[in-house]
This record gives sequence, C-alpha cells and structure tokens, in this order.
Amino acid sequence: MSLIALKDVSKLYGFGDATTVALDEIELEIEQGEFVAVMGPSGSGKSTLMNIIGLLDRPTHGSYTLGNRAAARLRANQRAKLRRDKIGFVFQSYNLLPRLNVLENVALPLAYKGVSVTRRLKRAGLVLEQIGLGDREYFMPRQLSGGQIQRAAIARALINDPSIIIADEPTGNLDSSSSRLVMELLGEVHKSGNTILMVTHNPELTRYANRVVYMHDGSIVHDERTPIGQVPKLARRTMQLFPRKTEEDDLAGVSALMKALPGKLSARKKPKAKTHKRSRKAPRRKAKN
Amino acid sequence: MLGGNIKMAMAALRSSKWRSLLTMLGIIIGVVSVVTTVSLGEGVKKQVAGQINRLGSDLITIRPGQVVTRDASGNITKINLSSGLGINSGSLPANDLGVIQGTPNVRLAVPISLISGGARTEERQYNSGYIIGTSEKMPEVLKQKVNYGAFFTVGELKRHVAVIGQTVAEQLFSENVPIGMSFSIHGQEFIVRGVMDKFDSPPLALGPDFNSAIFIPYEIGKQLAGGNVQLSQVLVRPGKPELTGATIAAINKRLTAAHGQQNDFTVLRQDENLAVTSDILNLLTGFIAGIAAISLLVGGIGIMNIMLVSVTERTREIGIRKAVGATNRQILGQFLVEALVLSVVGGIIGTLLALLINVLLRIFTNLQPVISWPVVLLASLVVLVVGVIFGITPAAKAARKDPIDALRYE
Repeated sequence: MSLIALKDVSKLYGFGDATTVALDEIELEIEQGEFVAVMGPSGSGKSTLMNIIGLLDRPTHGSYTLGNRAAARLRANQRAKLRRDKIGFVFQSYNLLPRLNVLENVALPLAYKGVSVTRRLKRAGLVLEQIGLGDREYFMPRQLSGGQIQRAAIARALINDPSIIIADEPTGNLDSSSSRLVMELLGEVHKSGNTILMVTHNPELTRYANRVVYMHDGSIVHDERTPIGQVPKLARRTMQLFPRKTEEDDLAGVSALMKALPGKLSARKKPKAKTHKRSRKAPRRKAKN
Repeated sequence: MLGGNIKMAMAALRSSKWRSLLTMLGIIIGVVSVVTTVSLGEGVKKQVAGQINRLGSDLITIRPGQVVTRDASGNITKINLSSGLGINSGSLPANDLGVIQGTPNVRLAVPISLISGGARTEERQYNSGYIIGTSEKMPEVLKQKVNYGAFFTVGELKRHVAVIGQTVAEQLFSENVPIGMSFSIHGQEFIVRGVMDKFDSPPLALGPDFNSAIFIPYEIGKQLAGGNVQLSQVLVRPGKPELTGATIAAINKRLTAAHGQQNDFTVLRQDENLAVTSDILNLLTGFIAGIAAISLLVGGIGIMNIMLVSVTERTREIGIRKAVGATNRQILGQFLVEALVLSVVGGIIGTLLALLINVLLRIFTNLQPVISWPVVLLASLVVLVVGVIFGITPAAKAARKDPIDALRYE
C-alpha cells in the first residue's frame, strides 16, 4: 500500500464564472522511501499540491490517503495534529522563528506534541548532531549562513520522524555550494529511509531524486522514474537547451521543458475560459513566491 | 504547555521592551491609583476610629442639623451625607447648652463654638486656625492633656485668657512655650495660659483641627461674636456610662421641646459618630477609586490594541507554528497568555508601586495609609479579567489565520 495516495484530487478557487482550477483531478501515489522531485512552471499547481499533501489545505474534490488514514476531509484541528506527527516542512525561505535559537527552533514541533522542555531539547540536540550542526545549537538563526539555516530547518522537519518531508524549493535562496550541501543532506536523509517530496525549478537537482513528476496547468503531465545520481532525459534536455544562469533562465528552461512535451500538452485540450483565468491567476502566485 | 507559553510570552515582551512597558502603563496607573486611594481612605478611617475609640464609648456628641434619620427605636436608618459634610440648615443656639446641662445624668457638657476672626501679635498674624469658645472642662471631656502651663479654670471664665494648640504656638509665636505672651483677637488682648498636648487629629477628619485652635472661655467668645453665638458641637459625658442610651433619649426629648418640636439637631453616640465618618469616607474613596478604575479599562484597550498589531506583525510566525503542527487552540493559548502576561505584569508592577507610594506617604506626610488586601486582590482579579477580555479577540484572530496565507505573509 502506498504511503500517499491522491485520487481525483481537484482544487478550485472562487466560484461561478470566476472559478480557477489549481489542481485538476490529480492521481498520484508515492511509496515509502521515494524521493520525488516535482517540476513545473509557476502557476502549474505545484505549491497547491504540496499544501494539500502537507495538510495545510483541503482538496475541493477527491480523496487523499496518508498512511492508512483518509485525510481529505479532516477538520483543521485534526489536520494540525496529523501535520505535526506525519509531515515535515522545508521552505524556500527557511522559516525558522527569528527569536528562538537553533535548538529551540528544531524542538518546536515537539512543543506542540506536549513533550517536556528538557526531553525535546535533548532530542533536538541529537538531530542537530546528526546533521552536523551540533556546534550551532545556541546560535540565533540570523547568526548562521543560509545553508546552515536550511539544514537546521531540515533538522526541524526530521524531529518528529515524519512519514514524509515536503521541501518547497529548498535551495531557492541558496548559492550553489550551499545548495549542494543542503541537497547532499536531503540525499542522506532519503538514504536513511525517509520519503521526500521536493519542488524545484532546477533540473540539476533532480539527480538526487528517484522519481520526477512534471506538472502543468494543474495536472501531472509526466511522471518518470530515474536512478539516483542521474538527471532524467527530459530535464537534461532543457538544461542543454538553456544553460542555467539565473532564476529566470531556470524558469524559461522549465517552460521549454513543457513545450518539449507536445503530445502530453495537446492531448489535454482545455476550455478557453479556463486557461484565460489561469493566466490571470498566474501573476498573483508568482508575486507570492 | 502553559509554562512554555508564559516563557514564550515573556520572551516576546522582552524583545520589545518599550512597547510592552507603555502598553502596561495603563494597567499600572489604574492599579496604583485604585490601591492608593482605597488605602488612603482605609488609613484615614482607621485613624478616625482610633481617635474616636480613645475618646471612649460614653462620649455623646450633639451637632446641629439632622445628620442621621432614626427609626422609632432609635436605630440609625439613614445617614444624611450633606449634613454630615457640614451643609445643613439646623442650628444649636447658645441657650441649648443650658438645656443639655439640665438633663439628668449629664455630668459634663462642654460647648464647642467657632468664633470668626484671626489672631495677631505685634509681629505676626494667624488666620488659618480656629477660635473656639469652650468651657474649663474641655480637656477632661476630650481626655486631652495640657502640655505646658494649664487650662483656664472656673475662676478665669470671664477673663481674656487662652490655651492654644501646638500649631498655633509654632506659627503665631514661633516658639514651643509662649506662656504669658499676649495676642489680640478683634482688638481684645488675650494672654496665653497653656499649650495643649498634640491632638492626634486625622487628616481628613470632620470638624476643626484642634492643633490649630485657640481655646478661649465660652463667655468671652460670646462677647467677641457680639453676644450671638452658635454651637458647632456640644460634647457630653454622662454620669453613669451604662445609662448613655437613656441620657441620649432624654437630651433628644428636651432639645426637641426647646426647638419647638423641630428635630434640626442630632445626638450621636460615639460609635454612631464613627459610622457617620466611615460612611462619608467610604463614599469619597469609592468615588475616587471608581474614577481610577476607568484607567484599568483604558489599559485593557491598550493591551488589545498592541496585541492586534502584534498578531499582524507575527503573521508569518503564526504560519510557521501552524505548519509544524500547532492547533488553533495552541495558537490562541499563546497569544492569550501573552496578553495576560502584559496585564498581570502590569498589575504586579502597579501593586509594588502602590506599596512604595504607601511607604513614602507614611514617611513624608502625616497620612497613615493602610493597604487593603481585599482591594489588592480585587484589583488583581480585575486585571486578570481585563487581560482575558481584551486578549481574546486578538488571540482568536491569530488562531483563525489560514496557514498558507500566513506563511506567504511578508
């Protein structure tokens, strides 16, 4: 049985004529121990998908099974608890609390579980030790480099032994050497048996994944398995076409990737109105990323 | 979780010290003013009670005006505050003294009549005191000693002699024992016979402060006032203390007859006198404390205001906390505790400040404020309630935030 199973999952925003479709009847199964990279242009529904899998949001239609629990219709309170126990988030902008030191930040999820202060700090110390930040426990986040902060964030995501770690462009704000450190760490985490779901714009990073999912307009347009250490064919093609220099190149690369999938795209004929709405929605999402 | 919340809240407040302090200021001022006014009132009441008790329970006071309303059996049913404060239409004409003296079981009846005018020596003038016409029994009836010299005697009742309070001695003669010196009232020369021991008069007591009084024989006072003098009080000691009640009834009856059946005077037992004074003081302190309590409300609004700002500022933090698994209730708890910490810390600072002010008042003034612990408790309770009431709205706002929007918030 799959760890995560999405069936016919749709997410709509607005209603009536102004309805926009963020996710369009997604079918996705993720097995225990997979490292899934999700690619796609802005507005393709990656973040919405992450939010639904991460239990920050609820699908409008469809069913979502996490572990063996139906999670699509849970109330906010139950979602919060499930999130606490089963999900670990790693964000592009790190999202450590600036007023807490690294140790307290890493221990934060345990606080909401009701673990005593001494025990949770001890556990947080162990996890930090494992990821090589043992000597930074009492630093404040602002005293660390971006790479170190992101590794601390990964430690926070790991502290509850989650079923799945959701990383939304974890290296988006990092330079290439820090990126490599963070990705190596994620790779390690994966090797030790964790399930990881990562959104990225950088095709190069898909080499750490053993499965790459491409999204466009709220749908999964391609899903391919790839050995770890290799950049899959499609991603490589966009890399060769547009050598990545800046983030914009990166985005262009992904767009090119989508164009390189003519069969998939033309097969999905969409009503004109819908695409129109989508394009209206796109700038908003971009602004928020 | 609660302990952690409190710690977290303290950290959050420490991170913006000035803001927290200013927010707490409303609560601090409210608590200080409520506790201080009430303790001042209590202190004065205690001093009055002490004085009244020292005078003994058999002292009967007759005052002009209807200060109290009594039922048929003589129990006080209502205290007329305006009369008690001196606004009244009643009077005690001079010949009432004879009526009272003629009542059975009246051992001593001492008139206290205020005479207008000021005293002057060749160098100085003294207008801020009282000139009181009274009889030679005054020290006995008030159980007051003469510190230097002696009170005037029966033989001196028609002579221009005076006994003065300590304040008068200091201010009119600038010496402690001005015995034998002279001063004039309305152009008539008086010789100082004695200086009274210090009266422990409470600061807000009703009636004149005897320390700044010049006592002259009643008959002379009458002359000074042109023969027509009103009695501001008559103090009576009964012969047999156990018959005080009957004596009061008798005085009442006789005076009523003398006043043409008008009940425009009041005969009070000592404990009733205390009741009247306490009642007036309670009204005053209650009134002032009530006004002070409004600042507690304003303080609460300040807390709500700053908490609303804080919730908006920390939207992202709320998003992060929710992402790592905080439930709505846990977020609500966090912000509610923060508001509570603001108000409770304000309350504690306010109480400590009030205690400090109390000590300072005791040292530097003649006031003897008494901290009323029930009021401190009540103030703490009000502060707690204010924290909850004004903290719950911002906390609920924080708890309701959508985690996705909150995480995107810049």
